Amino acid sequence: MPRTGPRWLIFAAVAALPALVILVPLGSFLAMSLAHAEKHQIIYDWTLRNYASFLGNWTYLSTFLGTLWLCLEVVLLSLIVGYPIAWYIWRQKSWKRYALLQIAALPLFMSYIVKLYTLRSMLGLNGLVNQALVSLGILEQPSQVFLYNQRAVLITMTVIYLPYVVLPIFLSLERIPRSLLHASTDLGAGGWDTFRRVVLPLSVPGTIAGALFAFVLALGDFITPQMVGGTTGFTIGRVIFSQFGLAFDWPFGAAMAAILLLVALLLIVTAGYAASRRRV
Amino acid sequence: MLRTRGDRIAEYAAGGLTALVLLVLYAPILVSAVFSVVEIRRGEILWETFTFRHYVTLWSNASVTDALVNTAIVATCSAGIAVALAVLLALYTEWPGAIARTALTLLIYLPFLLPPIVTGLALLVASANAGLDRGLFTIVIGHTIFVLAVAYRLVLTRLQALPPTLIEASFDLGASRWQTLRYVLLPHLASSILTGALLALTLSFDETLISSFVAGNEMTLPLRLWAMMRVGFTPEINALVTLVLLVSIALALAAASLLRPKGEPEED
Repeated sequence: MPRTGPRWLIFAAVAALPALVILVPLGSFLAMSLAHAEKHQIIYDWTLRNYASFLGNWTYLSTFLGTLWLCLEVVLLSLIVGYPIAWYIWRQKSWKRYALLQIAALPLFMSYIVKLYTLRSMLGLNGLVNQALVSLGILEQPSQVFLYNQRAVLITMTVIYLPYVVLPIFLSLERIPRSLLHASTDLGAGGWDTFRRVVLPLSVPGTIAGALFAFVLALGDFITPQMVGGTTGFTIGRVIFSQFGLAFDWPFGAAMAAILLLVALLLIVTAGYAASRRRV
Repeated sequence: MLRTRGDRIAEYAAGGLTALVLLVLYAPILVSAVFSVVEIRRGEILWETFTFRHYVTLWSNASVTDALVNTAIVATCSAGIAVALAVLLALYTEWPGAIARTALTLLIYLPFLLPPIVTGLALLVASANAGLDRGLFTIVIGHTIFVLAVAYRLVLTRLQALPPTLIEASFDLGASRWQTLRYVLLPHLASSILTGALLALTLSFDETLISSFVAGNEMTLPLRLWAMMRVGFTPEINALVTLVLLVSIALALAAASLLRPKGEPEED
């Protein structure tokens, strides 16, 4: 092994580019959150006033809390829908299982904007959802409740981020040794008992990972709320994005994004810890 | 596995749910494919309007073809750089003499784990500080750091599966470091490099959130489509979207077939 000198040189050579394109931007954005904007000039005066004005302004704070709540709803809804799907795929045999898995994973690679566009037209006044409900007699006439509100954001985000939830759950189900299931059946457990006492606890790590993916992705999304949320579907992502456009208050936007970053990091660390504790 | 009646009922229910959800997930490609060949008015398909001509005329729409070319350039550059960087970083972090391995690994995964809005904004601030004009170059940087984690993970997994005896044998047979890299390591890593590149291409092709911060006046295809969403899609755009979705699916399927384990899965 080379002496310490060359080892540092090699490290510097390898790490220089990643540091330049990842670490430096993150650092400069955090520094920006401590500056303030004055007449289109950014003045670095290392102040916490952006954070203070965020926490002291109920409009911003309630939007932030509302976004966290929305993300939680997205997570819950996608677990309720995604878990049975992952379980169903896992119950299939050999080729059918992998074919279904691929079919469920492929939408991950389909255009995000096109998904938004399609969902928006499906939820609209003349959309598929309304037509189906009217022809089934559930609604008397097409309703506008499915689009341009918080509910529309919830439905759309759930559909878009669902594959991110299904995949990790499936992967953790797949890791359960068949012998455990046989043992459980041999010991007299019925299907439900085996599921509740063996399958469900062992799939917790994947479920946490899926929930985390959905939460973090929904947290930073600003295009979905803008496209289907209308005026009531405001999220913190939209507020941040607007600071870099019309509002032109970069330091304030950076401070709000830093809070978002903090929440995301806390969640990633907590979820990582929880998942590692559950590993058998 | 023993299947009780309850199991079977649960399975039918879950199967029905899966079918319904898959239908919704695949609606985008179905809808754009249908709208690209026929006109639909008041929920009725007008079969007499059936035509493939939109697949030809779309190529004369410069705003769309320019965006498509930009996207292709960005995807190729960022996939290429990301994969090369991933190989270098994987070789380094697996090297016994590596320093700050954990910190470096964290750095690689960070842009993939963080909300894209943070990555995009950070790059925007950094490029403004550096006096860099926003454009294709900044988009390439954004996409590269976003897809790096995926490429790195794939190459690293493959590298860790390589028996160390193979490298020892290569050295024992008198190969230099360079020859070992060229004739032993790289051929072994080739499939993971290809898979990584394909996944990187697909991800970059669709990346919207980071791009929206760093694109400046340049347009990538997703950004162009986003702008067009406000006015609604024409049949030409639907034709283009159908083609794009088919290409993305083909790329992803190619990557998946490379990733699939060779052995038979466990059966009961």
